[in-house]
Amino acid sequence: MASRTLAVWEHRKVVGLLVRRDLKVKYQQSVLGYAWTMLEPLALTLVYFFVFGLVLNADRGIPPEAKPYGGYTLFLVAGILPWTTFGAILSEAPRAMITHSKLITTMKVPREIFPMATVGTKFVEYLLTWPVLLIFVFALGGRFTWEGILVWLPLAIVLTFMFGLGVTLFLASVNVLFRDVERLTRILTRLLFYGSAILFPASMVLDAERVPDWAKTIYELNPLMGIFQMHRTVWFAGFEQLTPSTLALTSAVVGSILMLVIGYWTFRRLETSVLKEL
Amino acid sequence: MASTYEAAVAGGPVIEAKGLGVKFAVNRRRKRSLREMFIHGKKRDPNAAGNEFWPLRDVSFEVAKGDCVGIVGKNGTGKSTLLKLIAGVLIPDEGKVSVHGKVAPLLELRAGFNDNLTGRENVYLVGSLHGMTEKDIDERFDEIIDFAEIEPKFVDTPIRHYSSGMKVRLGFALISQLEHPIMLVDEVLAVGDKAFKRKSYEAIERMLANERTMVLVSHNEGDLRRFCNRGLYVKNGSLALDSDIDSALAAYNADTKAEIAERKKKEAAKKKRAEGAAKKDESAEDGSTRAEAPKKKDEGKDGGQAA
Repeated sequence: MASRTLAVWEHRKVVGLLVRRDLKVKYQQSVLGYAWTMLEPLALTLVYFFVFGLVLNADRGIPPEAKPYGGYTLFLVAGILPWTTFGAILSEAPRAMITHSKLITTMKVPREIFPMATVGTKFVEYLLTWPVLLIFVFALGGRFTWEGILVWLPLAIVLTFMFGLGVTLFLASVNVLFRDVERLTRILTRLLFYGSAILFPASMVLDAERVPDWAKTIYELNPLMGIFQMHRTVWFAGFEQLTPSTLALTSAVVGSILMLVIGYWTFRRLETSVLKEL
Repeated sequence: MASTYEAAVAGGPVIEAKGLGVKFAVNRRRKRSLREMFIHGKKRDPNAAGNEFWPLRDVSFEVAKGDCVGIVGKNGTGKSTLLKLIAGVLIPDEGKVSVHGKVAPLLELRAGFNDNLTGRENVYLVGSLHGMTEKDIDERFDEIIDFAEIEPKFVDTPIRHYSSGMKVRLGFALISQLEHPIMLVDEVLAVGDKAFKRKSYEAIERMLANERTMVLVSHNEGDLRRFCNRGLYVKNGSLALDSDIDSALAAYNADTKAEIAERKKKEAAKKKRAEGAAKKDESAEDGSTRAEAPKKKDEGKDGGQAA
């Protein structure tokens, strides 16, 4: 384990190269290039703002006092930007090993670096969405404190990518053995999108009378919900309903660590078979 | 012999394989992988015994520094699998292989090239994947392009516009710049046209000159005799002979000849049967002379091959 970690560390430059290559290839042939990382979530936000905000009134879950601080629009942007990244990780995770089969079967490098490169690419793209987020924060008057910037934000980012890496390690190796995983992931992504309270505040579900208590507990146990609440609470400092509860916070931290452990364990466990099948 | 001595001084063999074995499941069922994930050990493996296939089993050998080892054998006997095990891109189910020193696995010349990147970008990418530093590549870049005979105007063109010859030449030019002490080569020597092939051979000889260790899988006897001082003959997934290259090739050729003779015999027998049947039909109308003649000719050829 220790020697393996060292081997990965020694290959960190290769990870960087793969990330750079992926980004280069991805944006090389499009006219707008990097702008797409911003335009895509923006377009999504617009659609959801119209459907959920104006038509379905999902903005009623936002505390009225938060309206002058960005309200539903900032809520959507602050949630959808990290979600686009996370969703992209989920959609590329199953192919993280398969697309590199040529490299994996001909070059001796620690195999973990391929899922790591996939997640790394998404991390860079996530950073590129930041200008959009900041524009919205300042234009709409988001309320943030040092506590949010120094505690919630780093924690949210670390947990997002920790969870993402765990999922990628898991899906990338399992998908080599049964390709059904790819399709299953697509459905699960949809489910997680609604289960992670991206379009409406979690309190809308947690305070709803028609939802049974056990369902609420499950809802709160979803580590992603807590993670995305953290992403948003940075810009909505001081609003109780928009801050993750102790349960959500705990499940976010424990869940992410667990996901990484399970993902890595599965990856190592299946490595021998995966190499034969690639 | 001198090389063996040096290796002993440096601390034993550079490649050491002990009881290597790899298992593939024939008719792999889904169940097995699911179990593989969650249950340790092979006790409850539903694909027990009958459905297993060992492309390679119980292979042990050592390679000393400076040796050039040729692996010979029929198609599908596990030569490439053995090379992949040494390269570490396949994990053995049994036994262990330890390699002391950096390895350049040259299993495929175009490995790692991305069609959407330019020739220059690809050289940097693959070179780094092989462990070259950016400075190394900077220094050798012109040499690589020159060796690969790629016109300067194409260097910054995406390689999807390259011809396949250009791609393999670039691949070879790049790997010939590697300075790893151990090289694993899988049939990649003979690329390009005649002129380029000659250049490649010279490059390989230059690479081998510096006490480097090479393991080569090839069907080309000329290559094998030219570069190798040792030979491993792999037969039906196990090591049949570990000796000098000439004996290994001789054993391989003897087996091949025997096999061809066997096949010829079978074919002849089949033909004889067919002719016998035909003769029966024909004898009713025509004489037997027409059917007799080709049979005799066949027997003559067969005898010659066997000898």
